[in-house]
Amino acid sequence: MGRYIAKRCFYILAVFVLLSFLLFNLYRLMPANRAYTDAKTELQGLKNSIPADQRDAKFDELYLKYQRRYGTDTNNNLVLYLRWVGVYPLYDGKCNGIFQGNFGFSYEHNKPVIELIGPYLRNSMIIGALSEVLILAITILLGIKCAVKKGTGFDRGVQFVSLIGFSTPSFITYIMFILLFSSILHIFPVQGMKTPGSDYHGMRAILDTLYYTALPLICLTFGGLASVTRITRASMIDALSLDCIRTARAKGLKEKTVIYSHAWRNALVPLVSIFVGGFFGIIGGAIMLETMFGFKGMGLLFYNAVKNADYDLIMFINIVYVFIGLVANLVSDLCYGIVDPRVRISR
Amino acid sequence: MAKDNKKPENIFRKLARWFVRFFMGVKYEEKWFFKDQKSDDSVPDDSDLIVSPGKQAFQRFTSRKFAVVSVFVVLIMFAIVFIGPLFMEKYSDSYTEVTLKNLPPNRSMMKVPSELKNDIKMIDSYGPFTVGLSNAGKVYVWGCKKIGASDATVAVPEEVENDKIAMVAAGVDHIIAISETGKIYGWGNDRFGQFGRSENSINSPTIEAMPEELYNNGIDVAHVKKLTCGYQASAILMDDGKVYIWGNKQAYSNMDYFLERENIVDIDFTLNYIVGIDSKRNSIVTGTKGLYAMAKTSIGGETEKMFTFLSGRKIVEITAATSSICMLLDDGSIALSGDFPSDSIDVPVIPEGEQVVDIKAGNYHYTCLTDKGNVYSFGGDHYYQAQVPKNLTGVSAIYAGSFQNYAVDSNGDFMKAWGLKGFLFGTDDVGADIFERVIAGGRITMTVGAVAVIIEVIIGVILGCLAGYYGSWVDILIMRMAEVFSSIPTIPIMMILTSIIAQMSFTTNERLFMIMVILGVLGWPGFASITRAQILVARESEYVTAAQAMGVKERRIAFKHILPNIISVILVSVTLSFAASMQTETSLSFLGFGVNYPQPSWGNMLTRASNATAAKNFWWQWVFTSAILVFTSVCINTIGDTLRDVMDPKSSNDR
Repeated sequence: MGRYIAKRCFYILAVFVLLSFLLFNLYRLMPANRAYTDAKTELQGLKNSIPADQRDAKFDELYLKYQRRYGTDTNNNLVLYLRWVGVYPLYDGKCNGIFQGNFGFSYEHNKPVIELIGPYLRNSMIIGALSEVLILAITILLGIKCAVKKGTGFDRGVQFVSLIGFSTPSFITYIMFILLFSSILHIFPVQGMKTPGSDYHGMRAILDTLYYTALPLICLTFGGLASVTRITRASMIDALSLDCIRTARAKGLKEKTVIYSHAWRNALVPLVSIFVGGFFGIIGGAIMLETMFGFKGMGLLFYNAVKNADYDLIMFINIVYVFIGLVANLVSDLCYGIVDPRVRISR
Repeated sequence: MAKDNKKPENIFRKLARWFVRFFMGVKYEEKWFFKDQKSDDSVPDDSDLIVSPGKQAFQRFTSRKFAVVSVFVVLIMFAIVFIGPLFMEKYSDSYTEVTLKNLPPNRSMMKVPSELKNDIKMIDSYGPFTVGLSNAGKVYVWGCKKIGASDATVAVPEEVENDKIAMVAAGVDHIIAISETGKIYGWGNDRFGQFGRSENSINSPTIEAMPEELYNNGIDVAHVKKLTCGYQASAILMDDGKVYIWGNKQAYSNMDYFLERENIVDIDFTLNYIVGIDSKRNSIVTGTKGLYAMAKTSIGGETEKMFTFLSGRKIVEITAATSSICMLLDDGSIALSGDFPSDSIDVPVIPEGEQVVDIKAGNYHYTCLTDKGNVYSFGGDHYYQAQVPKNLTGVSAIYAGSFQNYAVDSNGDFMKAWGLKGFLFGTDDVGADIFERVIAGGRITMTVGAVAVIIEVIIGVILGCLAGYYGSWVDILIMRMAEVFSSIPTIPIMMILTSIIAQMSFTTNERLFMIMVILGVLGWPGFASITRAQILVARESEYVTAAQAMGVKERRIAFKHILPNIISVILVSVTLSFAASMQTETSLSFLGFGVNYPQPSWGNMLTRASNATAAKNFWWQWVFTSAILVFTSVCINTIGDTLRDVMDPKSSNDR
């Protein structure tokens, strides 16, 4: 088991290095030249102290200085990548990259990326975790009930609604919810994180935040329900048609035991990767939801970063996304072993 | 079945028989082609019982009404979005029309109220609604009466209903009427001082408020020569050459020039300028140098300086459209000045002996009436407003406004109307027809979805086949690659890639193609693993072993035995992926990546609905589009689900 995990971790690392190198090269295509802009800005500041004919020379000098500082004084992508990682020295002979704790600098926010993301990550994780728990609680019950009562009116109704929900792009669901709850019923506020201008403390602050996050939470939960319900139902139906279920029933076990103990254990196997993926997905935030609600989470941060070509921030968040994806794969593989003892993972 | 005395079959009959056998089965083949060879009815016919798996799946599919309806809906949708654009010859992606912004669904723009039909005194319009006046002095309004998001409406107010009106004119969002006693009424939107003397209109430097004397004392209606309204302004011209003008100065920057004029003989509004002629009648007065200083006789004709063009002739009357002016000269000929839209119909040749007596302008077109009662039309024709109906003779008056024309006979009876009826799905925030954009956008969304899936299938199936067929290190390499690709989150990476290709100099179509390619390249791992798994299963199955034991060639096994078995599974995936790709594209376009304006897609047409206020006030701008998107998606997913059910031999019929 330990060896397997070590092997997988090594594999993840290799893929991660490969992918980050590819992504790094890809993002170099984005038009963002920090050294150029900084040199221009400094030249603007010096405007009056330099004669006009020396300005170009001064700019070249400043440009070179900034390029050396940021490590962009070469066109070799491998060198650039190694500098970004922090194993290849900059012009001044020191390494300053990820290994040194430098994840880049956000231009738009004027802050190092690592200091920036804290509150965004927290917001995304709170709302994501809450909605994921709600989604699981609802879909598992609904999925099992539908599978058991397959073909009844209840099942058909849920099937129909979940088909529509599954076919509706999330943003249309959000538009309808915003319209219903904010514009027509006036129950929840449309946007924001807290009452503007308020300075609540303690319980008031928590309640206020809850009030403002309620609608995004409902939307996120509702948007995720349909697809997971469909999958839960399908795998539960498959599980219920297994021979072991017939045997269990023939033994005279209670129907409840048959369903929740025998069938559910079997139905869980295909669901593991979805549940694990869902929980890891909360770190990345929900881009669509957060942009529509102005909810300050990772998704909105990423959206704004792409809109403003905030290069280091995009790079960092995307690396996080890829890392999450790879780790989620590993964890779901490990979970298979726990859920289904027949799967031997220490290959 | 015995066919001993078989006659040589002709080739067409043979082909038809094969066709029937292929599509309808052996049963019908025998029934139709061998009916002369009566078989013994008491013996059960084997061919009735033979059902191939494909046919069984088909039968089970057709037994589900919902799925069959879905297939037809999707086919019809495809037909509409791919054939529909051929019929929209006037459609252009970047079409905008400022006077038709944010209109709700409405088809009554040309519907003259029945009370007015036999008693028409005049009809006028500038924007989405039309105002009519009867000889009895009653005002009627039809078209889109509600203005924009505000509560303002141009429905006739009660005090106007009770008064006897002598003149009426319509602007883009207001109506001005003068009663027979000289009282001036205004209603509609007054945010830019279109009527009345509100606090805002008096104090704002960009608004010229209605003159106080008019507001308080009214006007001498007997001496009013012309009442006309422009975009957000109105003008009254008196017999003695005095002009009263009020309204939005930002819309009409040369308004100040006309405020002090005393010798104007005719006045009208284009979209951005007030134009007039003074008592010299030899040029267009605008107060701006070089504006409408050139004239021509036809839209495509050579332009000449106004002075040399007129060479002594006088301008009798002018009438203005959005960016052009039509002049009636004293020798009875027509002259034009300004710009015309590219799809304009040129000035018709008016037959010898006919004299133009009246010209009315819409927003882009002009309609003229001759003394013989014939009607001719020219200018912008986007809504077919310059297509005079055939056999229209004996007309004694014509009225034109925005995109409509009305012909009236000598009794004042309504004869015929032509032009823009309205918009089935309303218009968007730039004034484009949402119905047309839904069709054009559907073509793009469906093309992106389909091509992306095709690319996914090609890459996925080839790599999946290689992995499944060769096994060992090829399998490991390809499956690891698939894993890496599937661990890249789709939407974020798409956002970055599309913003990168936005920087490169691609044409819109190349950009579109790039989006399809990116979607396809990111989506292949699903197909690869499905194909691989199916091939692994198929290779180990008994029928392949049996075929191998019988000495069937490898290639025949691959194409005749393995491929048909995996194709059904791939088909299900293709259907579901198609819907998923469409959703990814719409989500991206909605966020502002992916397909960008002016190219329509079902996603970027909904962008405006992310604003809750706009979503509520302009519900038609997202309800129809998203309903169609969801409906199409539901149908495609239903087909996919049903296919999966019917092709899975394990699943029972009642599922």
